Amino acid sequence: MAKVTPGGRLQQNKLLRSMCRARSRGVPLQYIIGDQPFGDLQILCRRNVLIPRAETESFTVHASKLILKRLDEHPEVTNPQPLRILDLCSGTGAIALLLHALLANKIKQMTILGIDISSTAVTLASKNLEHNLHHGFLLDRARTEVHFRQGNVLSNHDSNFPHVDKVLHEFPGFCNQSGLGCDVLISNPPYIAPNSFWDGTTGRSVRIYEPKLALVPSLETDANMEEHIRQEDVFYHDIFQSAMRLGAKLIVFECGSYAQACRVVGICEDIAGACARREELAFHIVSSSGLEPGTHISGSGPCAIIIERSMASEA
Amino acid sequence: MLNVPWICSRCLLRSTKAAGYLRPFIPRRGLNTGVDTGLSPALLIRARSLADEHSNLSAQLAESFDAKTAKRIGELAPIANVLGEWDSANESLVELKSLLEDPATDPELRSLAIEDLESSKHSLPTLSDSLKQALVPRHPFAELPCLLEIRPGAGGDEAGLFAFELLRMYTSFCSRQGFRTSVLKLEVGDGPAEDRLSEAVIEVDASGAYGMMRTESGVHRVQRVPATESKGRTHTSAVSVMVLPSFPDSGAGGDSALNFDDPTSDYYVDPQEVRSEKMRAGGAGGQHVNKTESAIRLTHIPSGIVVSMQDSRSQHANRKKAWQILRARLAEARQEAREQELVELRRGVLGGVARMGRGDKIRTYNYGQSRCTDHRSGITIHNLDSVLDGGEGLDNVMDSVRTWLVDQEIAGMAAEEMAKRAHPQKVATR
Repeated sequence: MAKVTPGGRLQQNKLLRSMCRARSRGVPLQYIIGDQPFGDLQILCRRNVLIPRAETESFTVHASKLILKRLDEHPEVTNPQPLRILDLCSGTGAIALLLHALLANKIKQMTILGIDISSTAVTLASKNLEHNLHHGFLLDRARTEVHFRQGNVLSNHDSNFPHVDKVLHEFPGFCNQSGLGCDVLISNPPYIAPNSFWDGTTGRSVRIYEPKLALVPSLETDANMEEHIRQEDVFYHDIFQSAMRLGAKLIVFECGSYAQACRVVGICEDIAGACARREELAFHIVSSSGLEPGTHISGSGPCAIIIERSMASEA
Repeated sequence: MLNVPWICSRCLLRSTKAAGYLRPFIPRRGLNTGVDTGLSPALLIRARSLADEHSNLSAQLAESFDAKTAKRIGELAPIANVLGEWDSANESLVELKSLLEDPATDPELRSLAIEDLESSKHSLPTLSDSLKQALVPRHPFAELPCLLEIRPGAGGDEAGLFAFELLRMYTSFCSRQGFRTSVLKLEVGDGPAEDRLSEAVIEVDASGAYGMMRTESGVHRVQRVPATESKGRTHTSAVSVMVLPSFPDSGAGGDSALNFDDPTSDYYVDPQEVRSEKMRAGGAGGQHVNKTESAIRLTHIPSGIVVSMQDSRSQHANRKKAWQILRARLAEARQEAREQELVELRRGVLGGVARMGRGDKIRTYNYGQSRCTDHRSGITIHNLDSVLDGGEGLDNVMDSVRTWLVDQEIAGMAAEEMAKRAHPQKVATR
C-alpha cells in the first residue's frame, strides 16, 4: 500500500466512515464501491442503473456455451456473416460485454448491440466498455464490435424514444437486403410484479436504491390492455415479437421464477403459433442453480428461458 | 595393566553386526565416490531393459510412424544415450587396464594409458550421475503450475505469525525466480494484528512450478522467542505447507492424461459427486434481491474434501477458484495414494524407505542459532535471513532436497528391480 500522509489518513477514515454509514442505510455495496465483478469483467455500477446479478452472470455464461455449441455443430450457418447479438434492456451492458469476452476467442467476427431506454444506462454501458478495454479484460476488437444505443423495446409507440427496429436500421450488420435480422437475442428485462415489489419479496435495499424502471414494467403498453397479459410479463411479449420479426435463432430470457417462466413460454408459444412457426421452435427452462453442477434445483430462484430454432427450418 | 577396557565378546560381535546390517539401508549422499559403486546392478539392469525397449521401438518406428511410439522413444532416448556413453567409458577403462597389466606394453604407451585412465575415471561418476537422473521418471505433474497452501499448525498465534512469514518467503522466492504468483485465498486471524495468517492459498503460475516447489510440502517447524512472548522463552510451533498441482483451464490441456474434463482421465472429477452450496441460498433471487454474499462451499462426497471460498465479491469467481483448488487436492490425493502403493511395495523389499509426506516434519527454522535445517537432505544453512527472504539460502535448501528426492527414487527403483527378480509375478501388475 502507498504511504499515507496524516492528513490523507484522516480523509480516508472520513471516507470509510461515510461509506459504512451509507451501507448501514442499506445502500447497495456496489453503488458505494462503484463496481461489481461479472465473469472476468469489472462492471461499474451507478445510481439509476440496475446492478448486475450473479444469476444473470451464470445465464450469460450458459448462453455463450449454447452459441458455441451451435456454431460447432453447424459451422456453415454463420460463417460468411459476422455473428449478430442483440441485448435488449442492457442496463450496465454487463451481458453484452461478458458475451464478447467469452466468445471473442472462438468467433472471428461479431456485432453486439445493447439497447436500453435509459440514457444513464447507455452512457454507463459505454463507460463500462472503455473501462474493461482499459484494464485489458476485453480484446481491442470490442471497441468496434460492441455498441450501446438508446431505444424503446416496447411497442407502445412512445415518440420520445426510437423503437428497436429504427435503431437497428442504423446498423448495417443487422439490416441487409432481406430486411432486419439477428442471430442471438438475449434479454434480462424488468420482471417484478407490482405486488411483489411491495409485499416484501423484493429486498428493501433494492426497492429503495435501485431504479424501479429496471425492475417493474410500466403499465401503459398495448399488450396488457388488449391481451390480458400480466404486467410483469409484458416485456417478454413485445421482445419475443421483435425476435420473431428479426428471425433470431437463439433467444435467452431471464425471468423471476419458474411460474413466470411457464407463463412466458405460453405467451411465446401463442405468438409463434399466430405466425405459424411454433413447430420450428424448441423451448427450455433452466434454473440458475440447475446450471451449476452439484447444486440442488430449487423452485424459487430465477429461471432462464431458452428458445432455439431448429436448424432444419433455416435452410 | 591393560589400558583397553574389557568388552564382552558378544557385545563386540553385536556392534559389528549392527554396523553391517545398517549400512545398506541408510541412503547417504556423497558416499558414492568409488568408480564401481556408482550404480547398483539392479539399476543397471533396468537401464539396459529400457535401452533395449528404445532400440526395439526405434526399429518399429522406422517401419511405421505412430505418435505414441515416437513419444515413448523421446522419453527413452536420454537413457539410451547416457547408457551408451557409460558403456563405452567402461569399455575403454577395461581396455586401458588390460594394457597396463600387460608387461609387453611399450613404456611410452603405458604413460599415455595412465593419463587416459585418470580422465576416464573422472568422467565415469558424472556419467553415472546423469544416468541416474535420466532413469528417474518425471513426476507426472512436474510441468504444471502449482498451488501453495499454507496453514498454521500447533503453536497458536505464533504459528499464525510464522505462517505469514512463510507466505512472504515463498512470494519473494517466486518473484526472484520470475514466477508470477497470485493470491487465491488469504484469511487472517481475528485480532488486532493483520499478520496472523489462518489460511492462504497462492497460485504460482509458471510451467514447471510444481516440479520446483514440490519439495516444500510438509510441516515446517519454527523455534524462536515469539513476539508475543513476554518472558523470553523459546517456543516451537509448526506450519504446514501443501503444494498441489494446478491444472490448466478446461480444453487447454492437450495432454489427455491431465485433462480433467475427460471422464477417462485419472484426474477427472465427476460433478455429480460434488455438492455445491451457496452460503445463503433459497428465497427469491435475481432482480428481487441484491445478494452480496458470494461464498461458495464445495464438498467432494466420496472423499469428504471440503473447499470453501469467499475471497471474491463474485460468486462465479469464487466457484471457479474453489473448483480449481478441489481439483488440485483430489489430484494430489490420488497421486499420493498411488505413490503409497509403490512405497508399500518397496518397503517390503528394502525394510524401510523413508518417505516424506505432508504429515512429516521436513524443516526447522531456528532463530536463536540463525540456522535452517532440512531433515530430509540433512542440509543446514547458517544464514536464516537468506532463507526467509526467499533468496539463495532457500534455493540451496530446495536444491539439496531435489537431489535427495532423486536419490530416494533411485533407491526405490533399485529395490523394485530386486523385487522384480525375487517375485516377478507380483510386480508385473504395476
